[in-house]
Amino acid sequence: MDVSEQLETQKSKYKSIAVEKPIPLQYDLALLAGFDTNALDESRLKNDTDNYLKEYTRDGTQLIINQIFKLPITSSDLGIMAELPEQTTVIPREKPLPKPKPPTRWERFAKAKGIQHRKKSKMTFDEATGEWVPRWGYKGTNDDSTNDWLIPVPQNDDPFEDQFSKRHEAKKERIVKNEARHRRNIEDAEAELNQSKGIDARSLRKAELQRQIAMSKTATASIGKFDKPLEGEPKLKGVKRKFEPSIGDVKKEKELSLNILKKIVGKKGDIVNVRKAIAKRDQ
Amino acid sequence: MRPLTEDETKVFFEKLSKYIGRNIVHLIDRSDETYYFRLHHDKVYYMSEALMRQAISIGRDQLVSLGVCFGKFTKSKKFKLHITALDYLAQYAKYKIWIKPNGENTFLYGNHILKAHLGRITDDTPEHQGVVIYSMSDIPLGFGVTARSTVETRKLQPTDIVAFHQADIGEYLREQDTLF
Repeated sequence: MDVSEQLETQKSKYKSIAVEKPIPLQYDLALLAGFDTNALDESRLKNDTDNYLKEYTRDGTQLIINQIFKLPITSSDLGIMAELPEQTTVIPREKPLPKPKPPTRWERFAKAKGIQHRKKSKMTFDEATGEWVPRWGYKGTNDDSTNDWLIPVPQNDDPFEDQFSKRHEAKKERIVKNEARHRRNIEDAEAELNQSKGIDARSLRKAELQRQIAMSKTATASIGKFDKPLEGEPKLKGVKRKFEPSIGDVKKEKELSLNILKKIVGKKGDIVNVRKAIAKRDQ
Repeated sequence: MRPLTEDETKVFFEKLSKYIGRNIVHLIDRSDETYYFRLHHDKVYYMSEALMRQAISIGRDQLVSLGVCFGKFTKSKKFKLHITALDYLAQYAKYKIWIKPNGENTFLYGNHILKAHLGRITDDTPEHQGVVIYSMSDIPLGFGVTARSTVETRKLQPTDIVAFHQADIGEYLREQDTLF
């Protein structure tokens, strides 16, 4: 029996999977994308738009699928899987790069003096115990309150002073001082930012102080009612309530109240009484 | 006297819509004459444009009342409906309760409505729904809130409460000085 004819007809039903393109396509298979740089056939595009676009799309899709079948293929319970390569297309970031933070006072000082930051590991080796301990923080080597069981009294010092509590106090003080510096750095950065925006730091500070004065004035038993005003003190202006005139725009008022009504009644969605509707239908 | 602010209108409409639903439209958008809601001494009045224009020349302290008082804003800015609004509520009410003649008197003295006094009730009234109370001869007597839905009222004992009293026309006598 000769089946070659049948095979031929069967084959002619489908197009060949080989697609010829003058310039080969570029692929980014991680995105399942192919980039065709070939020129379009303009006359066909104009006269036979639909068919041409369909053919063009089919060819492109065929090429991508050909590429996918060239990838390493594994079969599992879920079916046959092709392992997609790493993405090669670089997608631009959505947001602009973050602006550099303004340098702190220490950073400025270090730069002026040419001090360079050397990276130190967090853990240090404690030779006394033979263990690795963090340089700072919980159970750190610089946490001197936990390590020493005895502190020698320095010369010329009061022998009855508690050296442990002294050390503790000193640490507390250092923490407070550091916090103040941190705050100052933030304020400096803010002032710089304002300056770049054209806002005067002095007037900003003035307004802030005035606000604070106004607030502190009400912090008496009489809410500042019987306090003597200071000389040259600015008069405080409250927020004035503003109402629409009694006889105003009729249309606007009506529209406004209808809008409010729509919001109130609309959200309940009581246009259709479902129970009643079902009862009516079943009758 | 001034128009209601947006927040006030919202609170007011929310309360009103519990009784008449979207029929508030018929109060705002009337075909005969333009009617307004106006706030005066924390009370909300409903009046025609002609009346409002006349009242505008009266000072705030001198003006005691005008139009129909719908209710008042409490100090905590909630809205309380007054019995004086009953005319409009009865006209547009969505859910109604009719009470038997023997129950009228107790209701008019400010008591809740018992199952024994219930004459009729609108079908499918939900629980805690604002309702207008009528006598059997269709005279509006006041308004309140249902304690149970229509279906559940059928199972109740005769002494159980069907609707909570909120306002009744007896208040015209009992609270004359604060009502308007």
